[in-house]
Amino acid sequence: MSTAPDLSALAGALPGPFPHLHVASAYSLRYGTAFPADLVRRAAEHGADMLALTDRDGLYGAIKHVAACHEAGIGPIVGADLALAGGDREDRVVVLARSDGWPRLCRLVTAAHHVGERGEPRVTPELVGEHSSGLFVLLGPGSDVGRAVALRRDQEARALLDRWRAVAGDAVVIELVDRYGPREASNATRMLALAEAAGVPAVLTNAVRFLDPADHRIGHVLDSARHLLPLHSRHLERSTSHAYLKTGAEMALVARRICGGDAERMARLFAVTRRIARRCVLDPLEVLALRADPPRLHLPEVGCDPVPLLRSRCADGLRERGLERSKQARRRLAEELDVIERKGLSGYFVAVAGITDMIRGMGVRCAIRGSGAGSLVVYLLRIGEVNPLEHGLLMERFLAESRVGLPDIDIDVESARRLDCYRAIRDRYGEAQVACVSMMETYRARSAIRDVGMALGLPPHEVDVIAKAFPHIRARQIRAALSDLPELRQSGLGDRVLETAFRLAERLDGLPRHIALHPCGVLVGNAGLRDRTPVERSLLGFPMSQFDKDDVEEAGLLKLDVLGVRMQSALAYAVAEIERVDGERVDLDAIPHDDAATYEMIREARTIGCFQIESPGQRELVAKLEPRTLHDLIVDISLFRPGPVNSDMVTPYLETRHGWRPPRYPHPSLRPVLEETGGVVVFHEQVLRIIDVMTGKGLSEAERVRRGLSDPESRARMREWFFANLRPEYTREEAEEVWRVLDAFGAFGFCKAHAAAFALPTYQSAWLKRHHTAAFLAGVLTHEPGMYPPRVIVDEARRCGVAVLPLDVNRSDRTWRVERVPPAAGYGAAPPGGRAPLARPGYGLRVPLSAVKGISDAEIDRILAGRPYTSLADFWERARPSRPVAERIVEVGGFDALHGLRPGEPRWRPGRLTRRDLIAQVGALERASSGVAETQLAMGFTERVPPGELPEMTEAEAVEAELEILGLDVSRHVIAFYDELLDELGVTRARDLLRCRNGAEILVAGVKVATQTPAVRSGQRVIFTTLEDSTGPVDLTFFESVQGRCAATVFGSWLLAARGVVRRTGARAVSVRALDCWNLADLDRARREGGIEAARAMIRAPRPAASGGVGGRPIAYPNGYRLSPYADVGPAPGLTRPPRRMWHASGGSSGPTVRPGA
Amino acid sequence: MSRLYGDPIEVWTRDGSPVRFVWRDRRYTVRQVLEHWVVAREWWKTSDADPGERRFWRVVASPGGETGTYELRYDTSTDRWLLLRAWD
Repeated sequence: MSTAPDLSALAGALPGPFPHLHVASAYSLRYGTAFPADLVRRAAEHGADMLALTDRDGLYGAIKHVAACHEAGIGPIVGADLALAGGDREDRVVVLARSDGWPRLCRLVTAAHHVGERGEPRVTPELVGEHSSGLFVLLGPGSDVGRAVALRRDQEARALLDRWRAVAGDAVVIELVDRYGPREASNATRMLALAEAAGVPAVLTNAVRFLDPADHRIGHVLDSARHLLPLHSRHLERSTSHAYLKTGAEMALVARRICGGDAERMARLFAVTRRIARRCVLDPLEVLALRADPPRLHLPEVGCDPVPLLRSRCADGLRERGLERSKQARRRLAEELDVIERKGLSGYFVAVAGITDMIRGMGVRCAIRGSGAGSLVVYLLRIGEVNPLEHGLLMERFLAESRVGLPDIDIDVESARRLDCYRAIRDRYGEAQVACVSMMETYRARSAIRDVGMALGLPPHEVDVIAKAFPHIRARQIRAALSDLPELRQSGLGDRVLETAFRLAERLDGLPRHIALHPCGVLVGNAGLRDRTPVERSLLGFPMSQFDKDDVEEAGLLKLDVLGVRMQSALAYAVAEIERVDGERVDLDAIPHDDAATYEMIREARTIGCFQIESPGQRELVAKLEPRTLHDLIVDISLFRPGPVNSDMVTPYLETRHGWRPPRYPHPSLRPVLEETGGVVVFHEQVLRIIDVMTGKGLSEAERVRRGLSDPESRARMREWFFANLRPEYTREEAEEVWRVLDAFGAFGFCKAHAAAFALPTYQSAWLKRHHTAAFLAGVLTHEPGMYPPRVIVDEARRCGVAVLPLDVNRSDRTWRVERVPPAAGYGAAPPGGRAPLARPGYGLRVPLSAVKGISDAEIDRILAGRPYTSLADFWERARPSRPVAERIVEVGGFDALHGLRPGEPRWRPGRLTRRDLIAQVGALERASSGVAETQLAMGFTERVPPGELPEMTEAEAVEAELEILGLDVSRHVIAFYDELLDELGVTRARDLLRCRNGAEILVAGVKVATQTPAVRSGQRVIFTTLEDSTGPVDLTFFESVQGRCAATVFGSWLLAARGVVRRTGARAVSVRALDCWNLADLDRARREGGIEAARAMIRAPRPAASGGVGGRPIAYPNGYRLSPYADVGPAPGLTRPPRRMWHASGGSSGPTVRPGA
Repeated sequence: MSRLYGDPIEVWTRDGSPVRFVWRDRRYTVRQVLEHWVVAREWWKTSDADPGERRFWRVVASPGGETGTYELRYDTSTDRWLLLRAWD
């Protein structure tokens, strides 16, 4: 045995640095663990001059790899590791794009996805052969050839290799890998011999999966997650601990093992590897088209020269919008067209306008969102309905000379029609020129715990419970959260046995987990689109780019964001219901924007269901801000953001608005810019104008500076620029003062164009709620656009004076429908709250069939087709529902009207037909129709139901069934069953809160309807919880100081009682700062078991001082803004649905009974 | 024919590779390494922070005149060597 030579001497004797040609990054889903940038950095540290990325099944990481290589000065090589079709083993080959082969690689990957099942691309030698002019194909140990060699089937190996050479010619390369697994070295030696005998070039790779050797354990977890099998050596790659990015010297050792110490062979192996690598280095600017100068944009074809076309369309637009004579509009248009044409984007605007016209032509509501609303061209082309001149919006925020990126036009369409819009776009431009943008779903705490739990073989239901206990935090925060959050500290999850699972789960943090359709991005290109991006099929069958939104921009592909917005669907639904029921046609885009009644309703914070302004925080803000105009709504929406709230822009604005203090301007010359917001910088547009006023350098430059403010690194440069370009009339001190304001607020301000675009549907939704309450709420219930569960909206309907009508097989439709009812019909017609009803009298909302748990679309179709029904038996025979669905419909009263049942009402007497009788009949009907001989009964028999055989359901049972089956309490509010308890405890009702003095300590109670942990000024995690007690919402705030004792109860209860201090937040707004809380069901149990004193004792009982609140260091921002690591993430779902058995906790009790007259 | 043993042995190494070992009171000199491979431990079955790996060598060695083939295993977590197998 020879002694090991000096490694560096060995590497030094080789012809240049070793290039890794087979490297999987984290974008090899559930396989790799290293991100492209980290691999490139490591390769650069090793002195590499070239590096490949060959992810499994796609080019998901390719753009990021090329960008990282470009920045590191390394030659980028891109390929893909693809599975071979046929056979039960998974054979794989690696294809590398040659220097001019990027389009071929894109097309091969697309073709591979087209051949295989969705998510399982496959290639054949023939398919690879078709693209081989631009590629190399590496046949390694995982290929069909490699497997034959490992099995010592030399004849077969040779035949397979010949087959590859027949279809792919000199693209064929043998790949040698030895990662120190059993027999790997000797197999590689045989592969080398095969290559030499056949005259095929052989390269050395390390089939890299990891950055560091220790990462292989994460690799094992990923293997297990990929195969959906618990960890077992049978399913794992054997030699993964050497599958890391080795240095050239380490690779030289590998080469020596394979070449048996033959120095000449080693040198040849390295030389061939380098030669192949050199022929694959891509021109980075070919891939990163946006970085080329000028950018190589990939624009849709519009059929003719787009420049004059756009000009004439805009001229038409000026006339149609009545702006022909406006000098301001003409000047603005000329400026905008100038920028658009210089950037070569005319065709993009023409194409987008064509798409929005087409969408509106389909009868789909369509609105613009985002900075695009600041462009006059967008308004003139009718892409958007916001006139930028009217609101002082700037185009530069959207499209400026100084902006390198591409403009984003974002379109909101009805969520229920979004896919129709995609189909229409695809049909217009053709499948080959359109693709949706994708996005990588990455591991977060819950998904990481699920996959690790599975790998370790923990019981699935336990894994589910553990995962759901965590808020939507990053995986790497898991163990910190366990000690920081009081609700987790009390959960017993800190157990030692879970320690390993959590440690591993943290390591999965941020790794891509699966690819998904981006919610809105659509690429519209030309015939060359598929030369620039690989495309696979999405779950819904749409072509989907493998690039995410950043990558498509880098690749120079223009995208249009078509976002499905549920509120747009809700609005469209409401408008259709108004026409159906009242015969009135409402044109939402034409309603006046100054309706006093609408603003009055908003000021009263009766905004549940409205777009953007329904959350507890927003209800508080609108009550304080008291909007009277659309502009007020624009300001309101802009202020309700983490940045403004944290930088405390809200208080000075409100003080000035209400005249409590005069507006303060950083400099008198800025008055015209800041007057609209009382001297407070709220909008990005104001930041631009301030910089323009003080430097005179124009808005485009100002936009460049504004973007620089968000990045701590560039902020110093922007400051320098600002002071260097300051106009002489400003003193240093004045400029310092202004810069301080810009620095603090600039990065957090809000784009006014975006807020203006949002204010429109906000106003439209409020207007509909005010004037067509029932139809609007039907839309909200049907499309669920907001944050509240349906039962909250149903309750809001009652408070507004809209009757809620029970399920009825002969009247309920597929979705929520408005019905005309006699005034004061149905529960809720007389609102229990203190406020006047909003709605015109005589309207009701009918519970739909789709609300029934477990009902299928086909069942709904049959039920609707067969109406009307004359009896349950008739229904059973003709609608053919499943037995559980039929029983559920009976249980929640779907046959009450048909059979004249009145459960729980005084008119029901023993001896009359009951719901329970009908449920028994469903059983009989099923036995009869199942055709079993001995139970075959004539239909006539099952028609006859002996009435009163079984007792009727109580009110409590009826409501319990409604909650269980419909998720709604229809016949009565669930809190009604606790009225006695609440009165005895002296609980204050929501409707009486306004009468409480500020600082009073009160008890409140209700159903928990929303829990949020938004970012707040103090850097705390504050829990905002909304209770609903049938008279209105109660907004509770739990600060960190009380969370030690309260958090677990808040998250873990559905019915909650709380003690707190009244905070008056506006003329008509109140919230409660909680001091303590209890599960209302526990208090109720105590009362039933030990009388009211027992419940009172629970409330009075001294509780542990609020020790150990919420831990975790707030993230501090340079401007003093602090954010709790647990704020602004979705909280743990906790208990958001009623527990299955609400009132049966104490054995045999039939639950609380309703007081007479309750 | 090979026989399984699993006997603890004492091994001298150079650059991590075995060069001499003592098995059943006889000293063996390694003449040639036929094969060397590494297997990661089933780490999920242990609670050790570093379960380590097992390194295998198949060597030709001679305790004097005659030579034989032997399989040696080194466990990095226990720092122990075993003689696993011997071929006649």
